[in-house]
Amino acid sequence: MTEQEVIELIDSSLAEEFELERAEMTPEANIYEDLGLDSLDTVDMVIVLEGAFKFKIREEESVRAIRTLGDIHQFVLTKVAENS
Amino acid sequence: MNLWCYPALLLWTLTGIVFFPVVFGLCLVCLRMPADRVMRLFVWIYGRGWVVLTAPFVRFRRENIGLIEAGKPCVFVVNHLSFFDTYCMALLPSYDVTFAVRSWPFKMFWYSGFMRLARYLDVEGSTWEETLSDCKSTFARGGTVLFFPEGHRSRDGELQRFYAGAFKVAVASGVPLVPLCIEGTERLLPPGRTWFHPCTIRLRALEPIPTHAYSKVDGHMLLRKQVKEQMARTLATMRAEDK
Repeated sequence: MTEQEVIELIDSSLAEEFELERAEMTPEANIYEDLGLDSLDTVDMVIVLEGAFKFKIREEESVRAIRTLGDIHQFVLTKVAENS
Repeated sequence: MNLWCYPALLLWTLTGIVFFPVVFGLCLVCLRMPADRVMRLFVWIYGRGWVVLTAPFVRFRRENIGLIEAGKPCVFVVNHLSFFDTYCMALLPSYDVTFAVRSWPFKMFWYSGFMRLARYLDVEGSTWEETLSDCKSTFARGGTVLFFPEGHRSRDGELQRFYAGAFKVAVASGVPLVPLCIEGTERLLPPGRTWFHPCTIRLRALEPIPTHAYSKVDGHMLLRKQVKEQMARTLATMRAEDK
């Protein structure tokens, strides 16, 4: 997958699961303040990403540091690169 | 309508405030009920008062309420259209309903004392573990927990995104989930308005959903989607019936 395809899969998966407006899904968007997710949603977000990319990330400490959509993009891109 | 409703509701509220300490104390001593349960009974009676006082101008219809087994623990999820929705929960057959709400009502001094006494749940200000533990305690006592899964009132009447909390609680506690559809309060007192309008308010219970089949890791997410679709279909049917 190209970097752009990974980002598109992340955004479309999250948009579908959390009914987010694609126009609001910029890399700078804070997932809590701008996209309106709560702490339980971040647990579901991990499940969604694991389902979309077929990897396990729920034990990863760095997931807790995620604040923006750009952080998610970077995190997943790193994991995809590690697994390829 | 407003010339009757506002003075009547104000008088009902003042009566409640004046007599509350005495009646509350008598209930504790005579009925030997826990303080939080007595408080939830008071909230239910207060809500019933609102229903009765507005009844000359508002037609209340309870539909399929027989599907709810009084005294059986469950999670209620209800759509949110108006400030008045919370009072309409007095249309439920049981008074022992613990509201799970966001933090802001707990910051209003005229609500917070009563809410804390009723042991309502501040889901925004608590951790998931605390919320689940409090819900399980409520279910163990035979109580029910009510969530507005949209988090806040809909401005256009359409269902908004559902948050996961209610569904995770129901699955993790193994209690049934009962969807409730309310319709009409958006005409009685829509967000941003202060004057009541005569209308019909309908509260329809849907079939309780056993949650044991949703115990997989993404089970609550599936449950959330199915319930939202079911509620959206039901609300569309109810609105079509009104036309």
